[in-house]
Amino acid sequence: MSFETWDGDDESAAGRFVPLYVLVNGRTSPRDSTLDLATQVVALPVDTRRLEPEYLEIVRRCAGWISVAEIGAYLRLPLAITKVMVDVLVEQGYLAVGTPAQQKIIDTHVLDQVIAGLERL
Amino acid sequence: MDRTSVKIVVAGGFGTGKTTLVASVSEIPPLTTEEILTEASLGVDDTTGVEGKSTTTVALDFGRITISPDVVLYLFGTPGQDRFWFMWDELAQGAVGAIVLVDTRRLDTSFPAVDYFERRGIPFVTAVNRFFGECDYTEDEIRGALELDSRVPLVWCDARDKESSKLALITLVRHAMARLKVKA
Ligand SMILES: Nc1nc2c(ncn2[C@@H]2O[C@H](COP(=O)(O)OP(=O)(O)OP(=O)(O)O)[C@@H](O)[C@H]2O)c(=O)[nH]1
Ligand SMILES: [Mg+2]
Repeated sequence: MSFETWDGDDESAAGRFVPLYVLVNGRTSPRDSTLDLATQVVALPVDTRRLEPEYLEIVRRCAGWISVAEIGAYLRLPLAITKVMVDVLVEQGYLAVGTPAQQKIIDTHVLDQVIAGLERL
Repeated sequence: MDRTSVKIVVAGGFGTGKTTLVASVSEIPPLTTEEILTEASLGVDDTTGVEGKSTTTVALDFGRITISPDVVLYLFGTPGQDRFWFMWDELAQGAVGAIVLVDTRRLDTSFPAVDYFERRGIPFVTAVNRFFGECDYTEDEIRGALELDSRVPLVWCDARDKESSKLALITLVRHAMARLKVKA
């Protein structure tokens, strides 16, 4: 698998390490992706015959809900690449996206569940 | 059909027990994912490759706890080195909050983490990892050294112990909820 890369510098000073921005299918990452590392995705029941092997491998991993970080870890793909590839699959209707972790949503009901879940551990 | 992700960050200085804490409560052995980094030295418009520039990778480890059929909690350990702040930003985004692990033999190594979450108003608790039994400092001494706000909870922990790690996590979620209620 080969990727074109470009060095998308932030406002950072010279000499500081920043993520390597990636170009996949003409898309850059991670800036135009709203996917979080913890966001989970799942495969939709659609025809995958036209997918390239690298993409098919991701879809296969998504038979059950799985996070972007887990996909990256299992397939040994750098995070920036995983994110764009997952995003492409979401956009093309191969994957559905779950509810991301979001600070703004004041959902104490979910946090109550988390506490109960931790207590059960 | 939906699945909600909840995220907690496990931070602290180099070697303070972050991976150990994640491993003690995670339902899977901690996984590692990597980000490739390149040394930034050019402007925004530059679209050349990375030849001749130094690159490195930063590894993140994380664990998961299935809370219910609809909710999964992810625990992300921060990279040990402080220079990868952008990774912290990505991890902290949307997180319930953070556990800052503290090694009493090297209190100062966790100061940048405390400072980071404090400045951004992200809820956090400090978990003092008692590596070798007793600790030489009192809670007040530790709070003083880390310039901790009196409202920030401090728990004593053993990162290897599941019950102890659970307590730190529950303390954090309760603290984050209490803050939400104050704001609402
Ligand atoms: N005795 C004792 N050892 C511990 C405890 N927590 C962690 N350790 C040990 O301390 C070492 C460092 O722990 P890690 O969990 O790898 O620390 P870390 O914060 O993930 O380290 P970096 O990712 O390198 O920054 C390991 O050898 C652990 O086994 C503890 O509570 N007691
Ligand atoms: Mg570690």
